[in-house]
Amino acid sequence: MTKDNGTISKQKFMEELRRYQKGSVTRRHFLGVTGLGMATAVLGTAIPGLRPRPAFAAGDIGDRVILATWPNYHDEMNFEAFTEATGAHVQVNVFGSNEEMLAKLQAGGSGWDVFVPTNYTITTYVGEDLIIPLDTSKLPNYDAGSFEQRFSDAGSVDGQLYAVPKNWGTTGFAVNTSKLDGAPTPTTWKEFWDLTMEGYSGRTMVHDYQLTTIGNALKYFGYSFNSVDEKELADAEKLLLDAKPHLFAISSDYQPPMRNGDAWMTMCWTGDGKQMNVDMPEIAYVLGTEGGELWSDYYAIPKGAPHMDAAYALIDFLLNPEVNAKEVLAHGYPSADARTNALLPKELLEDPILYPAADLLNALEFGAAATLTDPNRAELLARFKSA
Amino acid sequence: MTERGRKALLLAPAGIWLLVMLALPLLVVFVFSFGERGAAGGYVPAFTLEQYANLPARWTAFKNTLILAPLGTIAALVIAYPLAYFLAVRCSPKWRTSLLILVIVPFWTSILIRSYAWIFILGGRGLPALLESIGIDDIRLINTPFAVLVGIVYGYLPLMVFPIFVSLDKLDKRLLEASADLGSTPWRTFRQVTLPLSVPGIATGCMLVFILLMGEFLIPAILGGGKVFFVGNALVDLFLQSRNWAYGSAVAMTLVVVMLVTVSIYMKFISRLGGQREDVSLM
Amino acid sequence: MSVPMQTIAELRGVTKTFGNVVAAKDLNLSIGKGEFLSFLGPSGCGKTTALRMLAGFEKPTEGQVLLDGEVVNDLDAHHRPVNMVFQHYALFPHLSVFDNIAYGLRQQRPRVDKQKIATKVEQALETVRLGGFGPRRIWEMSGGQQQRVALARAIVNEPKLLLLDEPMAALDRKLRKEMQFELQNLQRQLGITFVLVTHDQEEALSMSDRICVMEGGSIVQVGSPRELYDMPRSRYVAGFVGTSNFFDATVTDSAADQITVRLASGQKVHGTPEIPIDAGQEVCVSIRPEQITLTRALPTAEIALPVTIQNRIFLGEHTEYLARNEALGDFHVLVPRQAELNEGTFNAGEQAFVSWGEGALLILEK
Repeated sequence: MTKDNGTISKQKFMEELRRYQKGSVTRRHFLGVTGLGMATAVLGTAIPGLRPRPAFAAGDIGDRVILATWPNYHDEMNFEAFTEATGAHVQVNVFGSNEEMLAKLQAGGSGWDVFVPTNYTITTYVGEDLIIPLDTSKLPNYDAGSFEQRFSDAGSVDGQLYAVPKNWGTTGFAVNTSKLDGAPTPTTWKEFWDLTMEGYSGRTMVHDYQLTTIGNALKYFGYSFNSVDEKELADAEKLLLDAKPHLFAISSDYQPPMRNGDAWMTMCWTGDGKQMNVDMPEIAYVLGTEGGELWSDYYAIPKGAPHMDAAYALIDFLLNPEVNAKEVLAHGYPSADARTNALLPKELLEDPILYPAADLLNALEFGAAATLTDPNRAELLARFKSA
Repeated sequence: MTERGRKALLLAPAGIWLLVMLALPLLVVFVFSFGERGAAGGYVPAFTLEQYANLPARWTAFKNTLILAPLGTIAALVIAYPLAYFLAVRCSPKWRTSLLILVIVPFWTSILIRSYAWIFILGGRGLPALLESIGIDDIRLINTPFAVLVGIVYGYLPLMVFPIFVSLDKLDKRLLEASADLGSTPWRTFRQVTLPLSVPGIATGCMLVFILLMGEFLIPAILGGGKVFFVGNALVDLFLQSRNWAYGSAVAMTLVVVMLVTVSIYMKFISRLGGQREDVSLM
Repeated sequence: MSVPMQTIAELRGVTKTFGNVVAAKDLNLSIGKGEFLSFLGPSGCGKTTALRMLAGFEKPTEGQVLLDGEVVNDLDAHHRPVNMVFQHYALFPHLSVFDNIAYGLRQQRPRVDKQKIATKVEQALETVRLGGFGPRRIWEMSGGQQQRVALARAIVNEPKLLLLDEPMAALDRKLRKEMQFELQNLQRQLGITFVLVTHDQEEALSMSDRICVMEGGSIVQVGSPRELYDMPRSRYVAGFVGTSNFFDATVTDSAADQITVRLASGQKVHGTPEIPIDAGQEVCVSIRPEQITLTRALPTAEIALPVTIQNRIFLGEHTEYLARNEALGDFHVLVPRQAELNEGTFNAGEQAFVSWGEGALLILEK
């Protein structure tokens, strides 16, 4: 961490610390893999008595709002500002996977006011009657027209709005190019798997997540990322079983081994790819030309939310372009909101990792609800992991 | 109050606790295991043996568990016994307490964090780098069954050390003198007196570690890189990922049965081996 | 023991220190083959340390321990042909009675034939009158039976020296008496040298050929029970072996074979001390309760002192009186049944005289 002169400024130190914190915990499945997804991280805002009094008499929306979200996915300063403005404290519960969120809501009594589902889960929540339709009159900052449609349309089911877009991203792979011995950087999933079984044997990681691991194996054969076709899944399974002895790990916590050199290549989400690339330029983020996953996260309100008004107030607050721009700067995931993007620096908007070229982006697929809930894919992953 | 009433009162708290925290959940799992998975996951009431019929799909997980749990138990025993012996028999009382505390100290930190530390020790920049510097190249330790075994031994060592320590500590040291007096060499004294008399501690330690290992999922997930798959990992995936509660319940019930069978066979074996008056006790 | 014995074990100038504590100081003692020797003294007197040095559990700091004429200081316990009966028996709880007794035989190399072990163990069981108890578990045996098992476990090895560390401390009084007889018989029967450690004078007196009285890590007197009883060297020995009446006295005259002391009451008495004593020295005189005669009339003895009867305890064969003399204090007097029949019973408050025969009064080191 130290520079040549051996000392670093306090500000620099904080930046490095922040980066380290980001790097050490990946966005998603880390908590899921450890089974500790139910663990609750409570920010300092949880103890009302310790917070400064709001500048004006608020209290209309209650004293708190409970948010279920992903790790490292918000700017804490924004929550403080929200409390300042409304008197409601934001209590944050962190989760590791959509499945866990779903499991908790299915079990009932989650106590959440706002949560952050991913596009392909929303129809399931609606079908299971677990979330409520949103009243846009309570979300003045929501401007449907300003969102890029492909990242916002999953929020509506049968013409009814249930969720509003938060951020989006892609699932590609990160590769440490310094280990390629001068060979060109791979650009396809086919190369990803072939390299895994040859030159990078013992150095590749895949997600501990059926959607992406099976999806990207299907891509080897040019099948759909979302395929539930038996024959196609059989092909993917064979590939996975062949590759398994060559894998470094099946884990979604891939940043630490990538950074310390134990792993050379891994399936990877946008934000992680960006973070690693910034610190170690030799780690490239690649979107397979065959395609892969494109995803979009949303804000939604579960049925029976205990602080309904506060839930609307928080979503509306976070949809404010100025607030949202701060969020993007803090976590590094792109926003689909044109108003927000107008406030972001040019370098960020032109970053090829965050905003891939149109042809790469167009080849990607959104995960499908059927893929998520398909029992055959779940069993396939279990066979792969236990093989 | 009658004697019977007093007894009932004494047992009531534990009884209620067991009923609410053990019997009822187990009953729920039992009932669920005959149900079906809902379209979006979860549980749909039914009566089918389909989940049990599907058990072979998790055979590898059971196999891995049934190999690595006993192996881990034995490895922990092999390392814990000399340590416990040193603490109880050889260590001067002046140091004993401090050393015992050192054995417990790791328990003050979450096993998650402790296992993470091992990622760095066994990772490419840890031990393998050290081995490379003395000319042993290309050793992969992390994400192997060996790493899982190391994690298991590390994580469960105190559970093994303490019962053995207790049984060795309460061992009457005059028995060792008696044995020497009767012409037995120190090694034979250990084999004929110390070891048999510490069997209750060994049995207790092994049982504690073995039972907990049968349900272990964290260490294989972290140090096995997801490639070493225990029944515990299968259960985590079934409940938290694919949300197949019915099948998960069937796997859980099977694990309970396997554990009961293994443990009762083990108890029989131990009681025959030890021939002790004191039965195998949990410390 | 009048016949000169062959020495089987010997302590030569043995000192043992634990840190700053001197547990045994310059011990010199020969133990004869086939004798029954007791170390007697209160706890902390060094008797157990002496025993443990014979067993090989402790190494002397200075001096030599000899067994059969050889120095065995550096010989570990498991190499010594010596066996011990431990204070709380230290029987192996995980082994049967048979296996406990066979333990020593099974340690021998070359190995002892199984059949031979069985025969010897059965014999040992018979010897301690536990025939047929072989298959029993240790916890199924009573305290007295466990004691016998411990004994059998030791004697089955035919040791040169059998060490007994307070072997009867855990037994009740009646059982202890029985065991004392048995031990004595056993010792005569087997001819093994017994070395007993005890703080119980009665035990030592009743069983031993010789008693080694210890105090503060040193041997203060060694002798047969009768010698120690009749000719104790010090007040400590006299007090430890039997009971006695002690009075302070001053030496007025010291000749080669006789000295004169003056009692606090003014009377002068003569005696022959075991140790050299100078004139003017403060000493102690001792007289055994059973050597005192109690009479109503003034007796014709050299010294007779007037007393007042304080108390009377009927003991069956004897009656014990507590009688007080103005100058000297209390006398314990043991009156035999026959004498009491002659003289009649004394009642509390009655005036009487105490007197004693020549040589009954002992002059001792204070």
